[in-house]
Amino acid sequence: MADEKKKKAISRPKAMYPLRARIDEVYQNSIKAVQAGKPTGWCMVNWWEADPIIMAMGIEAVYPENYGAVCAAKGVAQKYLERSDSEGFPSHMCGYARNTIGYTARMNDLGRIPEEAPMGGMPKPLFLLGSGALCDTRFKWFQALGRYLDVPMWTVEMPQPGVREEMMPGAHDRNIKFMVKELRGFIGFLERLFGKKLDWAKLEEISNDIIEMNRIWHETNELRKARPSPMHSRDFWTCMTGCLYPAGDLKVLIKLYNDLYIELKERVDKKIGAIENEKYRMTFAELPPWHSLNIFDTLAERGWNFVVESWAYHPPKPIDLSKVSDPLERIARFTYQWLSGYYQNAMKAKEWWGFFAYPYMDFVKDYQCDGALLHPLITCRTATNHLYLIQDRLMQTMKVPSMIAEGDIVDLKLFDAVDVLRRAETFEESMDHYKEIRRKEGFEW
Amino acid sequence: MTEKTKKGLARVEEIYEDRSKRAIELKEQGKKIIGYLCIYPVIEMLTALDMVPFRIFGDIKEPITKADACLPTVVCPFLRSSLDLGLKGRYNFLEGTVMSHACEVCEKTAHIWKTYIEQKYTFFIDVPHTVHEAAQEHLKGLLEDFRKTLEAFTGKDLSNDKLTKAIKLHNEQRKLVREIYELRKPNPPLISGVETIKLIKSLMSVPVEEGNDILKDVLAELKNRKNAPQKKSIRLLLWGSIIDDASLIEIIENADANLVMDDTCVGTRPYFDDVKLTADPLEGLAYHYLVDIKCPRTFRESEYGETSKNYMKDLSSRFSYLSDYARDWKVDGIILHSLRFCDIHGYEVPAIRDFLDSKGIKSIYLEPDYTESALGPLRTRIEAFIETLG
Amino acid sequence: MTKSVIIDEEEGICSTVTGPTGAEHRHLANSVIEQAIRDADLSLDQIGYCVATGYGRMNVPFADSQITELTCHARGVAKLFPNARTAIDIGGQDAKGLKIQDGRLKDFVMNDKCAAGTGRFLEVLAETIGLNVKDLGDISLKSKKRIRISSICTIFAEQEIRAQISEGAAIEDIIAGLHESIAGRVVRMIKRLKIEPDVVITGGVAKNSGVIKALREHIGYDIFVPENPLLSGAYGAALLGREIYNKETSEKRDIRRGISLKEGVTFFK
Repeated sequence: MADEKKKKAISRPKAMYPLRARIDEVYQNSIKAVQAGKPTGWCMVNWWEADPIIMAMGIEAVYPENYGAVCAAKGVAQKYLERSDSEGFPSHMCGYARNTIGYTARMNDLGRIPEEAPMGGMPKPLFLLGSGALCDTRFKWFQALGRYLDVPMWTVEMPQPGVREEMMPGAHDRNIKFMVKELRGFIGFLERLFGKKLDWAKLEEISNDIIEMNRIWHETNELRKARPSPMHSRDFWTCMTGCLYPAGDLKVLIKLYNDLYIELKERVDKKIGAIENEKYRMTFAELPPWHSLNIFDTLAERGWNFVVESWAYHPPKPIDLSKVSDPLERIARFTYQWLSGYYQNAMKAKEWWGFFAYPYMDFVKDYQCDGALLHPLITCRTATNHLYLIQDRLMQTMKVPSMIAEGDIVDLKLFDAVDVLRRAETFEESMDHYKEIRRKEGFEW
Repeated sequence: MTEKTKKGLARVEEIYEDRSKRAIELKEQGKKIIGYLCIYPVIEMLTALDMVPFRIFGDIKEPITKADACLPTVVCPFLRSSLDLGLKGRYNFLEGTVMSHACEVCEKTAHIWKTYIEQKYTFFIDVPHTVHEAAQEHLKGLLEDFRKTLEAFTGKDLSNDKLTKAIKLHNEQRKLVREIYELRKPNPPLISGVETIKLIKSLMSVPVEEGNDILKDVLAELKNRKNAPQKKSIRLLLWGSIIDDASLIEIIENADANLVMDDTCVGTRPYFDDVKLTADPLEGLAYHYLVDIKCPRTFRESEYGETSKNYMKDLSSRFSYLSDYARDWKVDGIILHSLRFCDIHGYEVPAIRDFLDSKGIKSIYLEPDYTESALGPLRTRIEAFIETLG
Repeated sequence: MTKSVIIDEEEGICSTVTGPTGAEHRHLANSVIEQAIRDADLSLDQIGYCVATGYGRMNVPFADSQITELTCHARGVAKLFPNARTAIDIGGQDAKGLKIQDGRLKDFVMNDKCAAGTGRFLEVLAETIGLNVKDLGDISLKSKKRIRISSICTIFAEQEIRAQISEGAAIEDIIAGLHESIAGRVVRMIKRLKIEPDVVITGGVAKNSGVIKALREHIGYDIFVPENPLLSGAYGAALLGREIYNKETSEKRDIRRGISLKEGVTFFK
C-alpha cells in the first residue's frame, strides 16, 4: 500500500495489546496442557454456567466451536465439511458442527490427530459438554459425535423463556432453581467420571473472579456510550475471548481488563474517540466476518464507529450477588442474567422479539446508533434467524436503518467486502435521512 | 350451524379440505379457538377450559411471500410457511396462540408471531432439553404459570378435576388413534397412509369430543369396508420431520408400496403414549410432554448421567421403538425424512441409519424443501427404494 | 435423449436407437421404438415385453411396466461388467451413485437438486468459455496446472471463470479445474455408499476423459467405461423386461398386452 504510513483509522487502545497477548498465551498453554495429557473435555460455549466447575475440577476445556473458526481461517475446514457430507450428515447444518464431525471421523480412522489439523488439533476428550443455550445444534452435534467417540456427554440446561412468561411472579427463581439442580447433577457426573471430589473453595474463588472480570468488562463497554465512543467493535472482539472462555490465572486477566478500563476512561474524559471523525455510530450483529475485519478500517475512514455489537458476546449486566451464599446459585444467577438482563426493558417497551433480538433495541437507544450492519450466515441459523426482525423493528420503533451483508462461518469467501463498501455510501444517505427524521420526531439522537 | 351429514372418512375428507371451516363455526357459537404450533403445547389444558385447540400448519401449495421479511430462507420451511399464513391473516379466527421452545426456530417463530400478529392471548412454554427429573419438575412449574394465564384469560377456574376430565378425553382419543393404527397391521392395511394423515390432521382441527366421534365412525367404517387399500408388494414406515400434507404420502402409495406406519408428529408421536393420571395432573402432563413424546428435539441418554458410553447401547435406547414398530407392522423398509434446514432431525439421520443397519432394516433418506415442486424428484427415489426392497 | 434397446432371448442386442428428447415424450417414444423395430428387422408383435425407464417412464404409452432408471442402470452395468460393485452415472440432469450386489441395485444416492455436479454444469460453463462440451475432455488433458474452481454453485462458477479468463488463465487449466470440481462433488456424494471396486461410469459425462481422470484420482480405483455409456439404462430395462417376461410366462400367466403405437399417438392428435 502506498499510504502505509497513513494513520490507522481506528485508534486501538494500548492496553488491548497485553490483554490479547495474555489471552493468546493462555490458549497456547491450554493446548500444551492438553497435549501433555491433562484431562480434557470438549465443551460448547456455555456462558460461565459450566466453566467455573470445569476449571475447579482441573479439567482443560477445548471449544470445538472455536476450533471450527480456526480450521476455516487456516483453510482446512473444507476437507472436514466434505467428510461430514460423505458421512451422511445434511450439508445445510452448522458449519462448525460439520467441521468437528469431519475432523473427528478422520481422527477416528487414523487413530491419531490428523497431520493437517491446525494448532496441534483437538485430542480425544474424556467427555462432551453440550449446552441447551441458544441453538439445538449445541447438543445435537455432540450427541451425533457418539458415532466416533465412545465418551459420555452431559447437556447443561439454560432456560430461555418468553418476555412476559419470565416476568410472572416466581418464574425467575424457578429458572434459577432448575439451573442449580442441573449443575449439581453435572458436578455428580464429573465426580463419578474423574473419581475425585470438586474443590468447592476453588470453585468459589474462580466463580468470583469470573464475575469480577465480567463486571469490569461490562463497565468498560458502558464507557463506549460516550460521544465520541472510545473503543471500536474490533477491540471488543479482540478482547472478549478472555471473558467468554475463562482460562489460566484469572487474577492476571482481571488486572489487564482493568488497565483497559482505565485507559478508556481517560479517553472518555479527554473526549478521544476510537476514530477521529465519528460521523456514524453503528451496531453490528452477530458474528463478525473474521476474515475481512479490515473492512472496518475502511468504514472507519468514512466516519463509521462501531460502538456496540454481538449481544451474545457481551457480559451480563451486573447484579448484586453478594448475598447469594451457594456458589452454584451465584453462577446460575450470573449466567441467567446474561440472557434475561434485557427482559425488564423489553417488558416496559412492550416488545416481544425475544431474548435474542431485543437487546439491539437497548443497544441502539443507549449507544445512540445511527445504523446497524447485520451479517446473516448461511450455515448458522442462530446468528441469522432474528436479523430481519431486528431490521424491521429498529426501523419501526426508532427509525434506525440496517444494512444486510451476507456471509458464513466456514465459507469465508461468501462475505463480499467490496460489495459492502460499494453500498456504504448509499447507506450513509439513508442514515442521514433517518437522523433527520429522528430529530423531527423528538428522538434523543 | 353445520349439518354434519357426512360421517367417517367422508367427514375427514371434508375437514381436511377446509380445516378452518368448523373452527370458524364454533367461534361463531362463542367458543374460543386457540392455535398451537408443534405438538409441545399442552392442549389438555385448553380443552379443560372448554376452548378448542387448533393446530397451526403450513401450506405446501402456497408460495411464501410475507414471511421472507421476518424469517430468513435458511430456516425450517414448515415454520416459514406457517408464519406466512399467519401474516396473511389465514389464522385470524384464532383468539390466541400457545407456542413453545419445541426447537430453536419454533421459539423464534413464536416471538415473531407475537410481534406481528395481534392476539388476545398468548403463552410460550420454554420446554427444557433434557428428560432429567429436574427438567420434568421445571416443566410442571411452567404449566402452573400456563394455568394462571389461562384462568386470567377465561375468568374461569382450571381445577384439577376439569383437567383430569380433559386428560381422559384426550387419552380416549389416543386410544382410538392406536386402534386405527392396529388396522394398518393387516396386509393390505384397512386404512391407507393418505387416509391416516388426513384423519390425524382433522383431529387437530376440531374439539376433542368431535374428534373422538369421528374416530369411532371411522373405526366402524373401516371394519366393514369394501374399498380397502390395494395390496402392494412393500410395506413402509415413514420417520421424520413434520409432514402436514398428503401429497408426499400419495407418491409413496402410488408406487408399489403401502405406507403402514409412521413416526411423525402428524401421526403416532402425539398419540402413542397416554398421559398418566397423577394426583396433580400437571405432573402427568409434564412427564408425557417431556419424556413420552419422542421428537429428536429432546436430549436423551441411555441412563441418567452415564459416565461411560457405548454407541450401540445409546442407539438402541434412543431408537429401539422404531425397530419395534417395524417388527409389529411387518415393515420392509423405512423412509427417513428430514425437511431441509431441520436441524434436530438432520443430526439424527446417520445415527438412525446405523441403528437400522444393525437391525437389518433398509432405509432411505429424503430431504425435501416443503414445496410441491420438490415432490416430483422424490418420486424416483421412493420408487427406486421400493425396487431395491422387492 | 430418448434411447431404445431391443434384446433377444439370449440377451443379445438386436438394435439400439438414440433419439432426441423433448416435451412430447409420447411421440418420441413411438418414433424411437418404431426405428428400433425397423433396425432389428422385427415386427411389432414380436416384442414380448417392454419396460420404460427414466424421467419420462410414465409417458411411454405402450410400455408393459415402468422401472426407475436407478434399478435399470444397475442391471445394465452388472451385465456389462459382472464385477462392478459401484456405478456412477452423470447425466445432463442428475448424478447418481449406485451400489450393486448380485447383479442388482442395493443402494443409491442421487443429486437432482442442483446443476453443479451434473453434466449441465459442464454444458453451461463450456458455453461461457465458448467451447463445445464434447471437446472439454481432450483439451483438459493438456493442462499442467489446473485452476481451483471454488464456487459450489453453477452461477458463481460462471463468474469465477469469467474472472479467470480475463486474468489470462489458460483455457485447459480452467477446464481441468471444472472437471476436478464436478468429480469432487460427485465423489463426496457417492462416498456415502462406501465405494468398492469395480467402479463403472455411465451417462453422457462418461465420454469426457478429463472428468474420468479426475474421478480416478479421487476414488483411487480404475474406472471402467462401457462402449456406449448412454445406453446402459435402456439395456438394463430390456434385461429386466426379459426377466419379467420369462418369470410370468413360466408361471403360465399371460402378461402380454402387445404393443400398440396408436394409443400414444392419439394423445396428440
